[in-house]
Amino acid sequence: MKLPGTLEALIDALRVLPGVGPKSAARMAYHLVQRDRAGAKRLSDSLKAALEKLHHCERCNNFSETPVCELCSSPRRDPRLLCVVEMPVDLNRMEETQAYKGLYFVLMGRLSPLDGIGPKEIGLERLLKRAQDGVTEEVVLATNYTVEGEATAHYVSELLKARGLKVSRIARGIPAGGELEYVDAMTIAQAFTDRRPL
Amino acid sequence: MRVDGEQGYILHTHAYRETSLLVEVFTLHRGRVSLVARGARRPHSAIRARLLAFQPLWLSWFGKGGLRTLHAAEWQGDGGSLSGAALMCGFYLNELLLRLLPQDDPHEGLYGHYAQALRDLADGAEAEPVLRRFELALLSELGYAQTLTHVAGSGEAVRPAGHYGYVLERGVVVDPEAGPVFAGRTLLAMAAGDYSDPRTLAEGKLLMRLLLAHYLGDKPLATRQLLVDLQRI
Repeated sequence: MKLPGTLEALIDALRVLPGVGPKSAARMAYHLVQRDRAGAKRLSDSLKAALEKLHHCERCNNFSETPVCELCSSPRRDPRLLCVVEMPVDLNRMEETQAYKGLYFVLMGRLSPLDGIGPKEIGLERLLKRAQDGVTEEVVLATNYTVEGEATAHYVSELLKARGLKVSRIARGIPAGGELEYVDAMTIAQAFTDRRPL
Repeated sequence: MRVDGEQGYILHTHAYRETSLLVEVFTLHRGRVSLVARGARRPHSAIRARLLAFQPLWLSWFGKGGLRTLHAAEWQGDGGSLSGAALMCGFYLNELLLRLLPQDDPHEGLYGHYAQALRDLADGAEAEPVLRRFELALLSELGYAQTLTHVAGSGEAVRPAGHYGYVLERGVVVDPEAGPVFAGRTLLAMAAGDYSDPRTLAEGKLLMRLLLAHYLGDKPLATRQLLVDLQRI
């Protein structure tokens, strides 16, 4: 049976979501137009509004409705510290800790040579410009401890140090409250390599 | 089919479906294999942190054909870890293996060369000789590089003081009509894995580029491109 064109287009559009194949897309589409038309309207409106209003913050590259986001314009943050994270979710995690009071830069990705993601695909040049605002004193690299995150941290630090900035990297090792007996061997080995004098 | 405790390295991982990872591995006895690590992208997955490239692992999987399931990955113990520029060399080795090595084609000798190259890089060895030795080992193992110690056809031994050309698929030739000229000394040193002479490094790089460019085809190496792009910033 041939579906009406608009329904087919909706099913096709829903497939842009990660993990959604043709079957799930069809189920979602029928649910939206048949059972929850109010919800569908809300989804459509909020999607439209988000696309129109959300931009990247000029300072931190995170999503924002204003040219400079709330966090970047807050007078309570320490502008001498700049923390670099891969994704907005990483920024949210850092904020939950309440341990960090400085500002951020969100790369929106990581260098991943085998996926063809290079400096042009992430906000590397914008970060260099941002870090050289004359106020930043220390850049804290909080990219992931994956091989890609490590490579990103390495090249970002080389580029920043060449511009005379102080660069640090968040530590890795035994988790808080961790007992050696239950910690992964690789983590213990890395913690040993990264041990610090007391 | 079930494989237990096979030695291997992770070459690359991709997101697969909603919560899984597609893991490309290079193993000692089974060569390159694609495995699915089910649920490895769930928040508290125990296996994900162990699926780290450049670390020697014991891998266990089951299933046959295209979609095999990885069910265990145990760390073999300290193989050293790559950091800084050595990390990018590691990515380069992995890209070469992913691009050139066919699936399910065992290459035990090459596995040894790969493990050695990673150890050398982790120990802070100068990168270029390590990369050249691995490239030649890879190309020879796949039958893409001919012997460097004897002239193609005649079988005459290469003389250190002589000058030679290299023809793709044929090997070392005496009177090259075109293309770069290599010192006999360079060819013999490369065959022995000795890059102590700067000239061997320069000519060796040229020869390896020539061969790799041919077998890799038109698509440039992403790791090389990334380094070029970083230089431009």
